[in-house]
Amino acid sequence: MIATIVDWGALGQTILAALLGGVGVAFTFSLTILGASRFGQGSRELSVFESIGYGALALFGLAATAAAIVFGIIVMASG
Amino acid sequence: MTEADVILYIVVGTALAFDFTNGFHDTANVVATSISTRAMAPRVAVTYAAILNFAGAFISLEVAATVAADVVVADVITPTIVFAGLIGAIAWNLATWYFGLPSSSSHALIGGVVGAAFVAIGSEAVLSDGVIGKVLVPALIAPLLAFIVGGIAIVVCYRILGRQRPGPVTRGFRLGQVVSGGLLALAHGTNDAQKTMGIIALALIANGNLSAGSDPPFWVIISAATAIALGTYTGGWRIIKTMGTRIIKMDAAQGFSAQGAGSAVILASTHFGYPLSTTHVISGAVMGAGAGKRLSAVRWGVAGNIVSAWLLTFPMAAAIGALTYGVTRIFGDGAIGPILIAAAGIVLTAMAFARRIRASSTVPAG
Repeated sequence: MIATIVDWGALGQTILAALLGGVGVAFTFSLTILGASRFGQGSRELSVFESIGYGALALFGLAATAAAIVFGIIVMASG
Repeated sequence: MTEADVILYIVVGTALAFDFTNGFHDTANVVATSISTRAMAPRVAVTYAAILNFAGAFISLEVAATVAADVVVADVITPTIVFAGLIGAIAWNLATWYFGLPSSSSHALIGGVVGAAFVAIGSEAVLSDGVIGKVLVPALIAPLLAFIVGGIAIVVCYRILGRQRPGPVTRGFRLGQVVSGGLLALAHGTNDAQKTMGIIALALIANGNLSAGSDPPFWVIISAATAIALGTYTGGWRIIKTMGTRIIKMDAAQGFSAQGAGSAVILASTHFGYPLSTTHVISGAVMGAGAGKRLSAVRWGVAGNIVSAWLLTFPMAAAIGALTYGVTRIFGDGAIGPILIAAAGIVLTAMAFARRIRASSTVPAG
């Protein structure tokens, strides 16, 4: 009976969105911290290229995190 | 002013009072993680949560539509039925708060209305498909989902950052918690305030002030937003006083993961119109973030509380809602019954608060 009552499609989309949103933001923000942390170690431990790479990683992670949050709120508000 | 209008005013006042207590009870859930990890000072966290609770109430109306249209048949409901349902929810919440039992405001609200409608009109007034498909099943799945998302999220964080120096990592996640804590407050505001909007919309439909299927008027949205935000702000000051003994210990990465998981589950569910217990979802996410680090860190008693609250709240609130409707009928169809019960409710609530505050200076989260 429950199988026919529940809209499994909508519930599945909820589960997928929550998984992607919750885990995705944790992933991208961790990359931001990794990049910023290593970039902050500076020239003592890293080459110039490594510093630039970690700086780019931090910026990418931050942009991806912000984009995911803004996208989520826009999708919700447009529902 | 007709007697029906008097009942409607009582329903609106009672619904907003319920919304206020919802914010009051849930402040701890929303701000505890940010305060515990020292991401924010308590006063800042509480004020921030109250503002975002208010803002959250404006971003969606899907949950309000579910409460107004998918739980009971709006065309046959009367304002007295909605009133009895609200009293059922408030009475059950108050009783569980007083005796320290687990509860869920959301399940209590819907259970109360279903019980009152069942006794007043019969099973044909209850939309069982909507209750099971849009309330009960999502309510069971959501805390589990939050637990899984919180658990995976913290494992991802530790995998990426496990070998980094703890200082910068902690500072980074504390900064991140400013955003994730804000998102959680926004999510809480949007799901919980909409339940009150839905109940008021149902009463307006029942009284002929709104056609079935319409969105709640703007005054309903802004008053529900204000009530939950004021409740959050007021409840926060008590939390600040008692936080030293009540807040669980977790690191900033766990706090960020739990808040992110809770926000994602609540926001995704709100988009599809599922009225969740935000308390259960946040508890599930916190437990998941704890389990991801160390399984023994999980407070399995909290999981037991969620299960028992899930099993008990709906039928008990329904029974009290049904009983309340029966009592109002003793006084006839007019406003006398709701007026007397509302007055008795205010006196009983004041007495319970006075006794509880005398007995203990702490207030459990809802």
